[in-house]
Amino acid sequence: MRGLKDWIAQLRILDPKRVKIVKADVDVVDVEICGRLYHNVKPRRPFPLTHPEYVIFFKEDDEEVGILRDYRKLDKESRAHLERVLNVIYFMPQVKRILSINTSGWTYKWLVETDKGIVNFETWSRCIRIIKGKKVIIYDIHGGVYCINDISKLDTRSLLWLSVLM
Amino acid sequence: MMYYPSAQDMHESIRRTISAMLVSDEEIIAIAKSDICHDVSYGNEYLLLTNKRLFVLSLEGKVLEETWLKDVNMATLKAHLGLCVLVLDTRLGVKNVLFFSPSKKRIFEKLVALINDLTLNAIPASEIKANLGKELRLREREGKRAILIRLLKFMKPFWPLVATAFTISIIARILGLLPPYLMAILIDKVLVPRSNFNLLIEIIAALLGINVISLILRTILNYVNLKLNLKLTYRFRLKLYEKLQFLSLRFYDRYSTGSIISRVSSDVERIKNFLTQGLQSMVMDLIAMASIGVILVTMSPWLTLLALLPIPVSLIGSTLYRRSASKYYHRLWKRWSDMISILSESLSAFILVRSLGREHRMITEFAHRLDRYNTANIEVFKYEQKFWPAIGLSFTLSSLLVWWFGGLQVLRDQLTLGALTAFTSYMWSFYGPINDLLSQVRSIPMVTTSSERIFEILDEDLEVTESPKAKEVQMKGAIEFKDVWFTYDGVHYALRGVSLRIKPGEHIGIVGPSGSGKSTLVKLLLRFYEPQRGRVLIDGVDIRDVKLEALKRQIAIVMQNPVLFDVSIAENIALGKKNATLEEIIAAAKAANAHEFIMKLPEAYDTKVGVRGRRLSGGERQRVAIAMALLKDPRILILDEPTSSLDAIAEREVSKAIENLTRGRTTIIIAHRLSTLRNVDRIIVLERGIIVEEGTHAELLRRNGLYKRLFDAQFEGFTRPIPMPIRRRKP
Repeated sequence: MRGLKDWIAQLRILDPKRVKIVKADVDVVDVEICGRLYHNVKPRRPFPLTHPEYVIFFKEDDEEVGILRDYRKLDKESRAHLERVLNVIYFMPQVKRILSINTSGWTYKWLVETDKGIVNFETWSRCIRIIKGKKVIIYDIHGGVYCINDISKLDTRSLLWLSVLM
Repeated sequence: MMYYPSAQDMHESIRRTISAMLVSDEEIIAIAKSDICHDVSYGNEYLLLTNKRLFVLSLEGKVLEETWLKDVNMATLKAHLGLCVLVLDTRLGVKNVLFFSPSKKRIFEKLVALINDLTLNAIPASEIKANLGKELRLREREGKRAILIRLLKFMKPFWPLVATAFTISIIARILGLLPPYLMAILIDKVLVPRSNFNLLIEIIAALLGINVISLILRTILNYVNLKLNLKLTYRFRLKLYEKLQFLSLRFYDRYSTGSIISRVSSDVERIKNFLTQGLQSMVMDLIAMASIGVILVTMSPWLTLLALLPIPVSLIGSTLYRRSASKYYHRLWKRWSDMISILSESLSAFILVRSLGREHRMITEFAHRLDRYNTANIEVFKYEQKFWPAIGLSFTLSSLLVWWFGGLQVLRDQLTLGALTAFTSYMWSFYGPINDLLSQVRSIPMVTTSSERIFEILDEDLEVTESPKAKEVQMKGAIEFKDVWFTYDGVHYALRGVSLRIKPGEHIGIVGPSGSGKSTLVKLLLRFYEPQRGRVLIDGVDIRDVKLEALKRQIAIVMQNPVLFDVSIAENIALGKKNATLEEIIAAAKAANAHEFIMKLPEAYDTKVGVRGRRLSGGERQRVAIAMALLKDPRILILDEPTSSLDAIAEREVSKAIENLTRGRTTIIIAHRLSTLRNVDRIIVLERGIIVEEGTHAELLRRNGLYKRLFDAQFEGFTRPIPMPIRRRKP
């Protein structure tokens, strides 16, 4: 019987010490794994919200190259290359402060300060997802995604605004 | 009406006949009265069921029919237009025993179930009688007073809070009695003599103090009541939810989701309001009435008599009002519900409405129902005007009489102005609780109805329970059905003597027309229901002796339309195994052929699937369900029409996943699409609850039986098999 164990054994879990990101383009990287160089590899997060450190590398033809359980264990330079690409593929500004949330008909107009600057966006009432009781993901009506990494670190005024929708 | 032997309301002649007829060791199980006679005219006949025989008696006690239960194979009901027949299949042939109208159908369904329990299922009469007794006990419990007492008992854990609330309320009420008394002193000792400035200050200070203390007490009382409300609804809703988690499917067959939700939400809300506010207010009203009554009598017995005049008027008026009010309110609710139903229908079927161009017709219909609702509202108003103005007038007249006679007494110096002002103030404080009490009493029937609905769920027996000797079993996967009989309603048998052996690792296909018992078979294996007769064994152990947790852990089911929870894909897959690792989730998804599509979603495994998994396509949902089953790593796998709702491409993807899933596991596949069964080891053909054929695909085609007909019909594009006579398979 080919059980789940066989399928797990087939997963290629990579040792971060033997992985080196040598180059980063907009959304692809060149990666050296166990001495072998792969070009235009697409890094993808299977769990972008719950375990953003977990990354799978895919070749151009979507064939899987391997899995990194925690990319933060890569060397400094590789990590910087990879983060640059991941920040493009997963553009999720970090909300630092909520300046206001106003209701307009069925939507809510947000004004927030993020790590990428101040931004306006609109959401429906069910727009918030809480991950592990700490992280908050906000979805706007056009598909934009914003993140509060640790709700407990938000200032009181922002928390008060946020409580309207939680 | 169905009677039990303890009931005393049987016709005397029948009772005499019955006692004369019974042989030794024969005891009555049940008696039911029909409403159509043997000559198909309206009239009554009795059906008497004992542990040995079944009789039909005329009203005069003449025996019209007698059958020994040992001769009965099975009892059924035949429903014609406006008339039903109780039919006995006996060793001597089929007997049409009794006629009755559809209004009696439920009673006779129960009776048929009893006959079958005694004959077909061989359940001892003593056990059946014990269950009937239990049913009677349950019915007895339904008395309104008993329900209210039970409700109060339900509040037992919160007595400290209740006591606190009552104490605060009583203090607040006593404080509320002081201002009119102070007002009387103010008028008589300060305002009328125009002197005593110090007393004025003292009274104003006392009034201020009373108001401040009342305000503080009210705030505390509101907080205590809020806590009581929350704790009470928490307890009710959690108890109901806990019960709902363990009730058998039979319960869910009986009650609609809407009805269950309404019990958990609005019925609980109504009871909470009564227990916290209503009950408190009733007790407070009674205390207030008694205390103010004493004050009034002390102040002036004659004026008190005048003040009491409207009470009989309002009691008679509200009693008359209650007699017909329910009719008016029921009509109002009905018309509201008619309006809502057309609204929900047109919203849920809006594609159909638009495609048929029925928009204007729907608008006209909706407007018509709105009109009817408005008319009902006006009728309620008109009805109320027959009572409330008259009752209101009696209060006004009474107060005018008090002012007239009281005023005369003041003019004659028999009463002070302050005392009269205080009296009228107390009088209105006396009327308030009366009106409150009347409205609270009006709400009691609604509360008892809500309570009945809730206790109905809480009292529901758990059909499937774990036996104390149940043990943990590590399954190999051998399954055996031994002469299994099962009925959902006690009348129609979905399975009739099914015997089947499945070897560990064997792949079995089950086919048959709709209603042939395919799904029932697997529901019994999963212990969603218990068979009435026969046994289901896994590795030679009766599944009733296997721990429910072990059974559910080692059997997985993939349904035709799997329902997912509104959480992420990863969380849905991880339901298959406690503490599943990320690698296990990914591996399960890969084996289920789901990893590829999941990784194409922007949030990949963290994607929320929406209510019931609606954000995914049918094929995607199916593959997530298969991944869940794979992660569970079951020994026995049930696939219930897993690909029937999918298109050809999705079916191919899911079929690949199924191949990975079924490898090396005992697998039962229920299928309409016979192409799904290409690779199974054996096919079982069911018809009307009986196994009629068994063999490989090729063998069954050669046999030229039902399977061949189903196969040909499918091949030709027909959906219905050509009927054929039932052949009973010998065990």
